[in-house]
Parts: sequence; C-alpha cells; structure tokens
Amino acid sequence: MSVIAIVALMVIVMLAGGFYVGRARAIGAVNGNTVRLHSLPNYHGYYVAIWTGLPAFLLLAAYGIFGGQAVERLTFSELQREASALNARLEERLLSDAEYEEFRGAALQLRERVNAIGDDMQRLRSARGEERDPARLEQLQQEQREALNSATAAEEAAIGRRAELVAAVGSEAEAAGASMRQLAGFELVQAPREQRQLFLSDAMQIANGALSSRESAELNAAARIVARYQDRIRYFVAVLALVFAAGGLLRTRSQVIPDFRARNHVERLITGLLLLSSVLAILTTVGIVFSLLFESIRFFSTVPVSEFLFGLQWSPQIALRADQVGQSGAFGAVPLFAGTALITLIAMAVAVPIGLLSAIYLSEYAGPRFRATAKPVLEILAGIPTVVYGFFALLTVGPAIRGLFTWLGFDDVVTQSALSAGLVMGVMIIPFISSLSDDVINSVPQTLRDGSYAMGATRSETITRVVMPAALPGIVGAILLAVSRAVGETMIVVMAAGQGANLTANPLESVTTITVQIVMLLTGDQEFDSPKTLSAFALGLVLFVITLIMNVIALRVVQRYREKYD
Amino acid sequence: MTDTSDTTSIRDAVSRQLPRRYRAELRFRAAGLAAVASAVGILVILLISILSQGLPAFTVNQLVLPVHLDRSVVDPEGDASEASLRRGAYSRVLQDAIRAEFPEVTARRDLRNLFGLYTPLNATRLMDDVLADPSLVGETYTFRMPIADDLDLYLKGRLVEDRTLATSGLLTISADGDALALNSSAPDFASLVEDAVATMRAEATALDARAERARNLAAELEGSDAEDALYEAERLSAQAQALREELAENDGRIELNRDLPTILVELSGVAVRLTALDANGRSASGEAMLGDAADISGAADWTLYVIDTPESRRRVSDQAIVWTRALEARGLVRTDFNTYLFSNADSREPELAGVKGALFGSILTMLIVICLSVPVGVFTAIYLEEYAPKNRLTDLIEVNINNLAAVPSIVFGLLGLAVFINAFGLPRSAPLVGGLVLSLMTLPTVIIASRAALKAVPQSIRQAALAVGASKTQSVFHHVLPLAAPGILTGSIIGLAQALGETAPLLMIGMVAFIADAPTLGLEGLTQPATVMPVQVFLWSDGAERAFEARTAAAILVLLALMIGFNALAIYLRRRFERRW
Amino acid sequence: MPDNQSHILDQNAGFGETEPPIKVAARDVCVAYDGKQALNHVSIDIPDRSVTAFIGPSGCGKSTFLRCLNRMNDTIEGARVTGSLKIDGAEVNDKSIDPVVLRASVGMVFQKPNPFPKSIYDNVAYGPRIHGLALSRNDLDGIVESSLKKAGLWEEVADRLNDPGTSLSGGQQQRLVIARAIAINPEVILMDEPCSALDPIATAKIEELIDELRENYCIIIVTHSMQQAARVSQRTAFFHMGTLVEFGRTEDIFTNPRDPRTQDYITGRFG
Ligand SMILES: Nc1ncnc2c1ncn2[C@@H]1O[C@H](COP(=O)(O)OP(=O)(O)O)[C@@H](O)[C@H]1O
Ligand SMILES: [Mg+2]
Repeated sequence: MSVIAIVALMVIVMLAGGFYVGRARAIGAVNGNTVRLHSLPNYHGYYVAIWTGLPAFLLLAAYGIFGGQAVERLTFSELQREASALNARLEERLLSDAEYEEFRGAALQLRERVNAIGDDMQRLRSARGEERDPARLEQLQQEQREALNSATAAEEAAIGRRAELVAAVGSEAEAAGASMRQLAGFELVQAPREQRQLFLSDAMQIANGALSSRESAELNAAARIVARYQDRIRYFVAVLALVFAAGGLLRTRSQVIPDFRARNHVERLITGLLLLSSVLAILTTVGIVFSLLFESIRFFSTVPVSEFLFGLQWSPQIALRADQVGQSGAFGAVPLFAGTALITLIAMAVAVPIGLLSAIYLSEYAGPRFRATAKPVLEILAGIPTVVYGFFALLTVGPAIRGLFTWLGFDDVVTQSALSAGLVMGVMIIPFISSLSDDVINSVPQTLRDGSYAMGATRSETITRVVMPAALPGIVGAILLAVSRAVGETMIVVMAAGQGANLTANPLESVTTITVQIVMLLTGDQEFDSPKTLSAFALGLVLFVITLIMNVIALRVVQRYREKYD
Repeated sequence: MTDTSDTTSIRDAVSRQLPRRYRAELRFRAAGLAAVASAVGILVILLISILSQGLPAFTVNQLVLPVHLDRSVVDPEGDASEASLRRGAYSRVLQDAIRAEFPEVTARRDLRNLFGLYTPLNATRLMDDVLADPSLVGETYTFRMPIADDLDLYLKGRLVEDRTLATSGLLTISADGDALALNSSAPDFASLVEDAVATMRAEATALDARAERARNLAAELEGSDAEDALYEAERLSAQAQALREELAENDGRIELNRDLPTILVELSGVAVRLTALDANGRSASGEAMLGDAADISGAADWTLYVIDTPESRRRVSDQAIVWTRALEARGLVRTDFNTYLFSNADSREPELAGVKGALFGSILTMLIVICLSVPVGVFTAIYLEEYAPKNRLTDLIEVNINNLAAVPSIVFGLLGLAVFINAFGLPRSAPLVGGLVLSLMTLPTVIIASRAALKAVPQSIRQAALAVGASKTQSVFHHVLPLAAPGILTGSIIGLAQALGETAPLLMIGMVAFIADAPTLGLEGLTQPATVMPVQVFLWSDGAERAFEARTAAAILVLLALMIGFNALAIYLRRRFERRW
Repeated sequence: MPDNQSHILDQNAGFGETEPPIKVAARDVCVAYDGKQALNHVSIDIPDRSVTAFIGPSGCGKSTFLRCLNRMNDTIEGARVTGSLKIDGAEVNDKSIDPVVLRASVGMVFQKPNPFPKSIYDNVAYGPRIHGLALSRNDLDGIVESSLKKAGLWEEVADRLNDPGTSLSGGQQQRLVIARAIAINPEVILMDEPCSALDPIATAKIEELIDELRENYCIIIVTHSMQQAARVSQRTAFFHMGTLVEFGRTEDIFTNPRDPRTQDYITGRFG
C-alpha cells in the first residue's frame, strides 16, 4: 500500500478520534451536566473532527491533482540544468555552421518575400476602379505560392541540418563520457514539444514500474530523477498531512470549554462549504471562457479573425505545417455557419409548428385523460439520447429521404444530408418547444380566455387572437432557447449530416456544422499546437458566444413575460 | 339601438358566418391533433425501427463443432503447464474440426473460404476454455463459436432475398465434361427460365432508356461534353443490344452469371449450382458445390433454392452459403441467446463484440457524476435558496447557472480537454475525466431542480423550526431538506439520466477509442481507458460490417433500458419518500 | 323548496303592466360542479331595459347563475346545468342554440378588467371582427367610435386608439371592456362585480355608465356593495347558499325585506 493511502487512513482514524475527544471533553468539562454547555456535545465533536481532517484531506487532494504535474516540472527543470553545457555547445556549433546559417537566412528572406507579396495582394484586393487588376492578382498569388513553397523547403532544410548537428553533439558527448542524465536532458530539451511530453510520461511510467512505450538508457536515467522527486514530494506531503491533522486536533481540543460556541463555528463552516459549492458554477463558466479564449487567441495569431469569420473555404486538413496555414486560407468558417444555419432552419421548420400546435392542443383542447397519456410520450421523446436520434437519422430517415427523392426524379441524392439531420433534430426539439410553450400558454390568465369566450369567440379564435398574442413573448423566448439548443446539438449532425464543407442552400446535399467540425478536429491524433486543433477552440468560442447571447435574450424575455402575468 | 330589426339582423349576420367559423375551428383542431399524433407517431416509428433492427442481435447462430484437442497440438511442451497451453495451435484445432465436416475441400483458396465461416479470434476463446479446464487436453470437446457475422445475418434472413421452389419431376444428373448436366422429368426449371428472360429484358430496356437520356443530354451540351455523352449513349445501346442477342442465341439457352440470381439444386448431401438453363425448362447445366453430384438418376426428393440477390451484390459467396446450409442441415448450427453481447467488450468482429466495456465505463463515469454533481448541486441550491443574501455575487451566480444550463454540451468537452487533460494532466479516455466533465454539465440541472424543490417547501415549516429554537442550519438540514428530498431526488435523477445518454463532450476527451478490454470496476478503473454506452453506439454505428447495425441498435436498446431503469428508480424512490413524509 | 319558489314567482307577477317586458325567464335552474350542487332550483323573471342587481355572500352562486345566461359554464369541465332558462322566450340550454350566437347577444364584463393584449381599437373591434359584422374598414371605425362613445371613453382615448389596451388605468380598462361588449350590440349585459377592483372615482364613472346603458339594454350586475345595488339597480335578487331567497324592487328589498336572511345580510349580520 502506498504511503499516501496509509496517511489517509491515519487521518481518518484521527478524525474519528477527534470527534470522540471533542465530545468527551465537552461532557467532561461540565461533569456530564450537558445543559450547561453552549452547544450540544456532538457539535464540539464535529468541530474538532473537522479541523483535524479537513486541512489534511485538502492537502492530499491537492497532491492527487497536482502531484504528477509538479514531479514533471521539477524533473524537466533538473534535466534542463543538466543539459545546459551540451545545449551551449550546440548553440556554438549552430552559430559556426555555415550550412545551417545559410538555410536559415534563405528561409527568413523567403518568408519576408511571401509577406511582401501578401501585402501587395491585400492592397490590390482593396483597390477600386482603374487600379483593380485581377490578372496581376492571380500572378501574385502564383508567385506567393512559389515563394511559400521554397520558404518551407528552406525551413525544412534548416530543421534537418539542425537535427544532424543535434545528433552529432549528442554522440560526441557520449563518446566524451557525458553522464546519462546529461544526455537525457539534451534529448528532452532538443525534442519537439509533443515528443517532450511523451518522453516525460514514459519516464513517469518507468518510474512507476508500468509498461512504457519504449525504453532507453536516457529514459531510465530520467526515470530515476522522476522517482527521486516523487518520493520526496510524497513523503513531504505525508508528513505535512499528519502534522496538519495532529496540529488541528491538539489546537481545537484545547478550545473545548463549556462556553465555547462550537455550533456556531460548525455552522459557519457549513455555510462556507455551501458558498464554495455555488462558486463552482462560476468557476465552470470562468473555466469555459478562459480555456476557449486562451486557445482561440493562439489560433488567431496564425489565422486572422476576419479570415476566420468571413472566409468562404474550410479545409483544415490541407494545413500540414503550422506556418503554411496563415496564407492557405483554409480556415474560412462561413460554410460551417451556413451549414449550421441551414440545419437549424430545417429543424425549426419541423419543431416549431409541431411543438407549438401540440402544446396548444394539449393545453386547450385535450381532455385530462388524453393529456395524461400524450404528455409523457412527448417527455420520452425528450429523454432519448441524441446518439439514438443520430442512428435513426443515419439508418432510417436518411435512406428514406434518398429513396423518396430518387423516386421523385432527383439524381445523386446522398444519405447523409442536411435534410435528414435537420428533420431528426427537429423531432428532438419538439418536446423542448412543446413543454416550454405549454408553460407559457398555461400562464396566460384565464380571464383573458373568458373575456374572449364571452364575446362569442370560438376556441380557435380565442387561441389565435387572444392567447397567442398574449403568450407571444414567452413563445419567442422558447423558440430562441430551442434555436440555441439546435445550434449546439452535436451527435445528430455528426452522424447524419455528412462532412462536406459545402456552401449550399440545398438541403439534399451534405453540409457540415460548427459542432461537427469541432468533433472532427479533436478526435483522432491531435498535436496541441497546430492551428487545426486550435481552430476547434475558436469554433467552440463562436458556438459559446452565439448560444450565450441567445440564452441571455431568451431568459430575459421569458422572465419579463412571467413577471407580467404573475 | 335595441330595436328588434337591428338585433335580429346582427344575429342573422352572426349565424351566417357560423359555418365558416366552425370549419376554421375544425381545421385548427385537426392541425393540433395531427401535431400530437405526428409526435407520437414519430416516437413509435423510431422505437419500432430500433427494435426491429436491434432484436436480431440478441440471438446468435453458433457453430457447434466437436473439436479434438490433440495433446501434441495444444500442449507443445507436453507438460500441461499454463505457458505450454498458451502456446498451443488452437487455430489448427478449429481448422481441423471444420475440415472434418467438408473433407472434399482441399484447394488452398477454398480452404481459406472455409475457414472464413468463423473468425480466427475464436481460437483465443478455445484457449481460454482449455486454460480453465486443462483436463480437456486430449479429449474431444464440443466447442460453440459464433458463425461469421455475414452468415449470421444470412441465417436470420436479413442478408439476401431467397426462396425455395418445390419440384415435381425426377432428377437425373450426369457428368458432362467438367460440368454436370441436369435433367428433370417435368418442366421444373421453366419458371426460372421465364424469370431470367424477364430480368434480362428489363435490363436491356433500362439500358436503352439510359442511352436515350444520354442522347438527349448530348443534344443540350456542346463540345467535348456532348461527344462524351454521345459516346456513353452508344456504349449503353451496344450493351442492350448484346443482351438481346444473347437471349436470341443458343436456342434460348441462358448462361447464368454472377449478376443474375443464383440457383441451387439441393438433394440430400449434395448441392449443385446451375450455370445455364435450357429453354425447354427441363434441362440445365451446373457445377458441384457440395458432395458427389455426378451419377444421380431418378431422384425424386430434390428442391430448387433460389437466391434472388445476385452474388455480385452481396458479401457472402454462394459457396459459403452452401456450406452454411449444409452445416445447418447436419444440426451443427444452433440459435442461442447472444451472451457475447453482454460478456464481451468491444471487438473488431461484430459477432464477438459486446457492450460490457461500455457498460462498465458508464457505471464508473456515472459514479463520479453522482458523487460530484449531486452533493455540490444540492449544496449550491441550499445556499442560494436558504442562505444567500441578495447581492451582486448571488445575482451573478443565478444568471450564471441559468446560462450554464443552456451551454451546448460539446463546450463542456472543450473545457475538459483544455483544463482537465492539458492543464491538470489527467489521463485521456478515462472515466475520471468523463465523469468530471459530465458532472459540470449536469450541475445546473441538479441545482435548478433542487431549488424548485426547496422553494416548494412551505415557509411555515422554516418558521416553525426557528420558533422552537433551532438554528438556521438545523432548520434547513433537519426540516426543510427532508421535505424537499423527493423533488431533489427526481431532479437529480433526470440530470443523471441526461449525463448517461450524453456523447459529444466525451468525444473531446478521447473516450471514443476502440477499447477491447473492459475497465475494472474499482478505483483503478477510473483512470483506465474506457468508453461509455452512448459512445459505443456512436462507434458501432460507424462500423463497416453490416452486422454492426444490429449491434448498434441492440446497444441502444440496452442504453434505453438503463435509462428506463433510472427513471423507474426515480419514480419508485419518490413514491417511497412521499409516503414517509 | 317548491313553496319557496312559487312564492318568489308570485312576487314577480306583482310587477304590473307598466313594467318593461320580461327578458330573461329562469325556471328551476340547478348547477352542479363535479356533482357538487352550487345552485338549487332558481326561478326568476328579469325585465328588459333595467338594471337587476344580484347580491349575496361569497360562494352563494351569483356568478354561477350569471354564467348560465351566456353558457360560460360550458367552458368549465364538470359543470352540469339543468332546468329551463329562456331569453326572449328562446330556450338558452337548447341544443339548437349555439353558444357562439348566444354570447354574441349576451355580453359579459368581469370582475378584473381583462382587455386583450392588443390596441384599444383592436379590443373594441374584436367582436365585430370575429363575427364578421363590419363590411368595411369604415364600418369598423364607426362601430369602434360609437361603442367607445357609449362607454364614455371616446374623449379619453380618441387620440391614442393604437396604444395597447393594458396601458389604460383600471377604470378606463373596465370601460374599454364594456365598450368591447357593446360593440356587437348585445341584448343582455352581464356584469360580475365590475367595480370591485376599482377605486371610488372609477366606480362612480362605471355606475353612471350603467345608468345610461339601462335605456337600451337588460343589465344584470353582481355586486358586493349594498350601496351600489341601491344606487344603480331597479330590482335586486338576494342569493344564499345556492338558492334565490328573495327578489323584488330594490327599494322594497332594502327597506322591507321579507326573509330574515335578507334582513341579516343587508344589515351586515353575515356575509
Ligand atoms: N369552476 C368551478 N369549479 C368547481 N366549483 C365551482 C366553480 N366555480 C364555482 N364553484 C363553486 O360553486 C359555488 C358558487 O360559486 P360562485 O358562483 O362563484 O359564487 P359567487 O360568485 O356567488 O361568490 C361555490 O361553492 C364555488 O366553490
Ligand atoms: Mg363571484
């Protein structure tokens, strides 16, 4: 059993002991006449127990969450220190290496040229009248592409040469009898970012005696460092936790006297805990906003915002190299926005009439027995997981639509189309709209209906001319909420809408949406630095902002509406 | 104003309009009813389509073969140790067993097809059996293994269109060079000839129609496009012409090929595939598929088995079907309840794939969600409802929770990826991270439901508790909370059910990998790679094999059963609590 | 019970020939909600072109009886009405009578002003529009104007007909509702405690209006205020626990009630 587990057990024992000590002391202090105590003996017990266990457990929890990270950081910095001599030697070699310098210089020059051409193109694009010259623009584009290719080639050559030098320095050092730790540090520092992570996690695995993806002398050296830090931190935490527990126990034990307001203390702690829970909701939002913003800003440093928001072409897969992307123009998200809008539109075209009419029928026409059976059925529709809808769209609705339209004489209708995804999403949203509008319709005061009936209006006239206008704001709010739901829905579109980033209004074609692209970009292998991965966060940010705005408006509208009739 | 003429005229006017108004009323009412009916109808269609697709996956056709576990083959070291048994050639054992059934198959390619009747992964299962009971070594053991997925579908009647025709004549088969000549004393093949001719005619007509369309298109197009279209039209016409000529040639004798239905002549232990039909409807040529077919005369007990789906348009060969039918006829194929679906984790082979891994993953994930979102959600609700002063911070929390409830689930996945995995360094694909993400997602639902439940507790209860000298905390925890418990419970369970069915955020944190081993149900399982039920559904729905379709629907049924269970639990608990309080 | 009923009918018969003709005649009207009796064998004759006040303690069935007159009880699930109720000799509960047509000629004003969430104009035009009474926009304008004038609201709202009806004050809203009711020229106007949500000044205006409307309509008003009943009505009916206890000229009822329960009620001993 690990040290930490033993310590946790010990803390639990001390905590239980603390409870009895506090209780017994309180009873003892008044010689069993508990009426003289300010608080019940149990509260004294709780008080001591809390201060015995809480700090120690918080410490252990923090260790559980951040311990691994800390070990990794410490190992990394130690290895970096170890490798500093070798790194310096490499820098020297790089500076004196004519070949490397040449490649690098060329790459820089070419890059500048690419930028210059880019500026020219920008100027040409925004030019008007006489100045406009499409032919020249095309020529520039061609030139830029060529420059870009040679720039990339030069950069690759520089990187290749650098790798050679790294290998050379490494083997020289090994021959000269450098320590394994130095070599390990050198390998780690010179590795590309994502491989560093791999190196470290392999070292951790070896240190923990688990199977690692590979093994080498360097890794073993690193693993020894990891193990050292791990042990140090572990014992440090273990001792500290015990000190916290014992200290808490001793300190609070002495506080137990008849007049001690143990209950108030405990209750204040409870209130604090409650407040802390509710702050978690805020922390979640903060976490969402910051993680999206942070990664998006990194993304927008390579792809301009305007290009992302207004570009017409989306093909993130083309971007093989980070620095190529900015110019390749493959991150125009308009097709995704259009696809999202198209599918949302279709979904609303299904869900709004059916949901609204169902709500009207159930609340204004249906007898109690009919209502009692139909409402749960609608609720079932709401409880079905979205993958199930996706499967339904993929295997039942999609083929049916293709069959229907082929029969109607359309050619090449695809199974995965905006139409099938939209229709099924509409079905998913029906219960959402119907239950929200049901609430809204029911909160229209009966006196308005009575007024209308007393004028000799029929039911439908009362509904369409009095109830609906009265409920309109609430219904608009409900529809907005439903739209935001549709925009953020993922599984149905992932499974049923296809992946083609087509900019089209034809519902029979396959389109792609914001959510689908987020999934596509983030499933499978991902290196966390490529714009391809980062663009998913930019899309997430857009999604978050859109839905947030709609929710805020919708909630406001509904709130106002409720206040009006309450 | 109330002079009678005026009022009667108004009454008349009202009455005149009435029929129109009542028609509108009827239309509106019908539209409402239609809306409800369509929602219900869609639900019914959805459930029926999933049931009809999923139910077949709950049964499996198994090959029940006697396998001889020869000591030298399965125990190469000869010491019956586990290490030795692990090195045994179990695939060979299985191969020998199936070859014993069809000794006439010798050609390499045919053998490979024969071994395709089951997946080689079964060798591992056989090994596990032997390891569990080493006394089997040297014995003949009756081993059950699922038949290959496509053949399973075939046996369930879901792969091909087929029919069996009765015959009236006496059948004579004789060798005719390499081929076989079949003769019946009655025109038993006549209807097949008609069918084939009709099919080919229809094909020719369709080709002509396409050619015509291409020609029309050519007239509209210009330049090389028009030429291409014309060329295409010529090609199609030529094909149609060729078909017609073929029909006219050879005195109406029809050669059967892979694009036409397969016709098998079956009699006990023998199967012959027809290669050509004579126009007279009495004679045909064929090739042997099973058993010794040459030299049969005057057999009365034979049938024609027609597979209308041409061989070129299906994934299983005629030969595999013949073998399967033979095994079935010999009683070596059994239909059983599909235990693999529950006892196995994911597999590349549909017949061995099961939901156990996903089920365990779901359980672990939900454990985290229950332990986190319910207490935190209830605490938050208690704070906001009972303690919170009205200030900027609590207003902010309120607005925040309402908005959080409507944030798309996928955004929570992004949060999990950026914070839990990248910043905190927690492992990918782990139920721990999945549970954390789903907890955050479920939190607003639990909070909102709990607040509603707390709100519903009458103010008088709190006042009564405070009046007898209880502190605020005592009044809340001893009096209000128990009363609100049923509502809180129901709301929490609804939130948990949502989390159970959620997929999108889990894709972000890598719970979407192919994972062949179920995670352990324990603390260490929390960090093992796993997937959950809805993600399993997503993964399988993408499966290339058709048999995965049924597995997907079956997994959905399991998932829905879980959710129904969850909700039933909610109802049950609420009932119990309500009686107590 | 029958004795009681005949006694009231006798009393009605004594009104004499100079009185306006009978508009509403009820015989043995009973109402039950979900089997619970709310109104017991009520028989009453209400004359045209006058104001009849219904008084009585809360829950005694005044509103229930009022709702019988325009069959608003049809909209309440579980309500069952029996007995005979005739307006102008035509049986209200008859199957051949369409409640839509009936309600077009029996207007109703409720306790709480309930203007529709529409403009003032559209509120008044509501009835003519649904019943298709106005052939042109001009017609409709005329109806709206004359109704608002009759309701004494025209001066106040003439220049803001497109404002929402809910933007008016409570008293104005109630007059708007009255204008809405008279826009389709009903024969009977039912008012269920029309002033209970209004301040005294608004109440005075409504009372004035009722007095004017009396010339042309048969008005039945439920009120909790004895003074109001005395001020606006010519006849008063006293209900108690679902039965009609006493019915007669207002001054008779207030000065010389025959039934001790009436006496108790108007002197404020219960209710
Ligand atoms: N919609 C209804 N459903 C059930 N009972 C009702 C309903 N309306 C009125 N009642 C009952 O009928 C009786 C008479 O009510 P009501 O006519 O409203 O009295 P009033 O208007 O004289 O105060 C009361 O006991 C009341 O509870
Ligand atoms: Mg009333």
